[in-house]
Amino acid sequence: MLRNLFQLGLTCSVALALSACEHQDFVNTNEDATRVEVHHISPEMAKVRDYVPQFAVMAHRGSTFWAPEETEAAWRWAREMGADYLESDLQITKDGVILANHDTSFARTTDIENVYGEYVPHTRKDFYVRHGMSEAEAEELYKKDLQSFRPYNAKSYMYEELLALDAGSWFNQTSMEQAREGFVENKQYISTLEDQVKFAEGYRLKRDGEGNRVYKITGKWNPEKPMDCLTYTFEYEQDGPDMWTGNRPGIYIEFKEPWLNTTDFEERIYKELDRLGWNIMTQPADANEPHYKNGKVNVGRTNGKVILQTFSLESLVRTANRFEGQIPMCFLLWEGNGATDLKYDTPTGYADFINMALRYKAHIIGPCIAGAPNNYPEMNAPWQAYLIKKSGMLNHPYSFDSYAQMGKYFGQYNWGNDTFFDDLLHGCCGDGAFTNRSELTLKYYIDHGLRSKDAPQTVPEPMSVLERLGY
Amino acid sequence: MKKYFLLPIATAFALSAQVAQAQDFDTDPVVKVENKNENVKFTIGARMMADVGYFHSEFTPLKSGAALVDARIRTSMSYNDWYFYADFDFSRGKFKQKNIFLEYSLEGDCGHHAFKAGYYNNPIGMARNTSIGSMHFITRSAAVNALGTGRELGISYKFYNDKFFANQGVFAENKYNDQISGFQGVSAGGRWLYRPINDNEKTLHIGAGFHYANISTGEVVKGGVLKTSYEMGTNMETYVDNTEMFCSATLPWAKEIFDVNVEALYKTRNFFVRGEYLYKAITKERDDQALFEADLGSIDSWGSLESWRGGNPLGTNTFMGGYVEAGFKIFGNDYAYSNKDGVLKGLNDKSLEVVARYSFTGLNDLVDGEYYSAGRDQYYPNGTLKDYPATSKSIGGGDMHSATIGLNYAFNKFAQIMVNYTYNHLDRDKYVYDKNFHGVQARLMFQF
Repeated sequence: MLRNLFQLGLTCSVALALSACEHQDFVNTNEDATRVEVHHISPEMAKVRDYVPQFAVMAHRGSTFWAPEETEAAWRWAREMGADYLESDLQITKDGVILANHDTSFARTTDIENVYGEYVPHTRKDFYVRHGMSEAEAEELYKKDLQSFRPYNAKSYMYEELLALDAGSWFNQTSMEQAREGFVENKQYISTLEDQVKFAEGYRLKRDGEGNRVYKITGKWNPEKPMDCLTYTFEYEQDGPDMWTGNRPGIYIEFKEPWLNTTDFEERIYKELDRLGWNIMTQPADANEPHYKNGKVNVGRTNGKVILQTFSLESLVRTANRFEGQIPMCFLLWEGNGATDLKYDTPTGYADFINMALRYKAHIIGPCIAGAPNNYPEMNAPWQAYLIKKSGMLNHPYSFDSYAQMGKYFGQYNWGNDTFFDDLLHGCCGDGAFTNRSELTLKYYIDHGLRSKDAPQTVPEPMSVLERLGY
Repeated sequence: MKKYFLLPIATAFALSAQVAQAQDFDTDPVVKVENKNENVKFTIGARMMADVGYFHSEFTPLKSGAALVDARIRTSMSYNDWYFYADFDFSRGKFKQKNIFLEYSLEGDCGHHAFKAGYYNNPIGMARNTSIGSMHFITRSAAVNALGTGRELGISYKFYNDKFFANQGVFAENKYNDQISGFQGVSAGGRWLYRPINDNEKTLHIGAGFHYANISTGEVVKGGVLKTSYEMGTNMETYVDNTEMFCSATLPWAKEIFDVNVEALYKTRNFFVRGEYLYKAITKERDDQALFEADLGSIDSWGSLESWRGGNPLGTNTFMGGYVEAGFKIFGNDYAYSNKDGVLKGLNDKSLEVVARYSFTGLNDLVDGEYYSAGRDQYYPNGTLKDYPATSKSIGGGDMHSATIGLNYAFNKFAQIMVNYTYNHLDRDKYVYDKNFHGVQARLMFQF
């Protein structure tokens, strides 16, 4: 019996000793990040990636802080501040005009609820008649429109109908400290992609004596090809030297979710860029053109003049098919349970999305960042930035609203200490920044020696720029 | 005179000893209280299992350490041909309902009959009807854990003799009638064995089992629709870290479950080999019309029932698994076989054995050519990424190969120690970096 007890005791002791030998092993995200596999960008793709300047400043919707977003005012301001890119969200109208609007609705950023309400615009039948339809045909088309009408959504409106909307006054009501009469006196329109390009080129809208933009529509309405039957011709004026100081930013355009647009949306963007002379696949820039020239932003004259972006998996695939990785492409990340979201924000899941982006010829990852006022999910922690960097892709986090956020993600708040993955990140969790405050981001870059020495080294005062531009 | 007086008592004792073996214990309880005048006998017993394990995995760590994995009290009462049994588990500090049933036995011309009612294992499956204390392994195989059927509330009838064994019954889908409303689902199961060889030295049994369950328990979702669901999974053949996260699946809208088992067992005095093949098919059922109508009323509503169905496909899923186990007794009493339960009994008295097992658990039911995103844990049909809706019918619960070798030593009929080494190889898209798991476990088991 004693022998048996001894055997039992010995066995238990060995087992417990075996157990005690093990170090405490927790799920360690940082460690896991070093063990998951991320593919590396190919040399061909890296060449296109390098079209994009390092520590780029992407003026998020122009600015959401200083001016009504995605309007003439916001983008001209961003251009003059020295942003590298004017950022936008693209959608398409019923008559095929590509416009910029962030939301799935115009309700927040225009007066559409007052002008049209939730109805088919009262001017619709007249629009059809003016563009070649008989009264009877117009009536029939109007009835059809009633069936498929989606209030406040771009695809349900003719662009001309949207020109009746005021896209500036709302800003004065919601951002009272930044409100300006100029946003009302110079009527702000829902911008088109062409407008955005022209603003980047140093132009402004041409307006008539009453301040309305000048345009004309040609062609006859064709119900079978509603998006390809009419042609809008917009007119622009070059900003004078008192308004345009010579910066030539690029554009950073987002394909919104497919249910907002047509299945050939990427093809349409391709053609529109072509028409505007901004498709580097058909009209490449001089490879030696620098990102900054004569102390001015020159990105808009380089092969990095256009960056594409999307959250959509479908759009990612279609973009890869149409643009073949020859134009810089950013895959945006959001954490959640939505149809396009990263559901499992673990090293495994994050690496999977990076690999998916590489597979579909993206060059940039755009993760959201934490912090006020947006309080987005944190998707740009050092381990996440490390994975992006390891893949050889660029990291363009969104969106910055404060100097403190810049300090957090671009190294200042590490106070000189080595942090996780510093050998690769060197304190910077990003290669650029989508910012609502271009002035803050530029100043941070300059203050911390991150901005190219060829780029402008002073940051204009934001309000004085708005005043100079006539707002 | 004294001899004749003792004979019926001895007979009664022998009979009660036979019926007192419940499926979660196959040893006789030690504490017995007997009222000879009333022919009533009461027993009480207990069991304790403490495991210690050390695990190594490549990516996601398992928790090494020690755990009290089983702590049970059992009690029984027999009166003539009636037998009542109950046992309760309070390991991990929680009360768990285990077996509780009443059994009536009678002897026929060609065999034994038993009618049983209460909460106990569904008849299907050899491993599921073998007490964990008599498994010769620290756990049942992963295949059985994932695909087997456990205890259910119901009634059954069993017939057995030396050659044949037939056990079948009908059961309730849940034991507390805790469905939201209405009639709960039912299940039925059976196990049938033929023993071409069955003597003191050798036993060979071959058999099959069938189980059917109709699920009616779930949650009420939009449109007042009852959403049923079925979950299955296995741990990594350890109770020290009982997680089933690596190899598991949830099947929403599961309605009917069909299980088919095939099994065989062969044993001699000092050797056994046994195995089972398990196949499971799960059909789905959903009130599409009600759900479609509940979705109406929004600008984003589906335009037609057909389009709704196209975006929300439903299909049957099938899974399979199996195991083979073998053991060799180095010294000790002969391996024993229970005709009544159709299973191998555990070690009895001082003995030493070596055992080995291979198990395959197949919880992957994947459609060829689909693209999988680990970031979304989602399959995309035809290899094409799509935003909405998700239309894959694939289930990626994981395929797992498991191999175990073990050494079991019984000090006596009460105390036993076991040592197992288990290797699991997992193939699951969700855990792409978790491929190989190693575990060394030891168990101290005491039962009386």
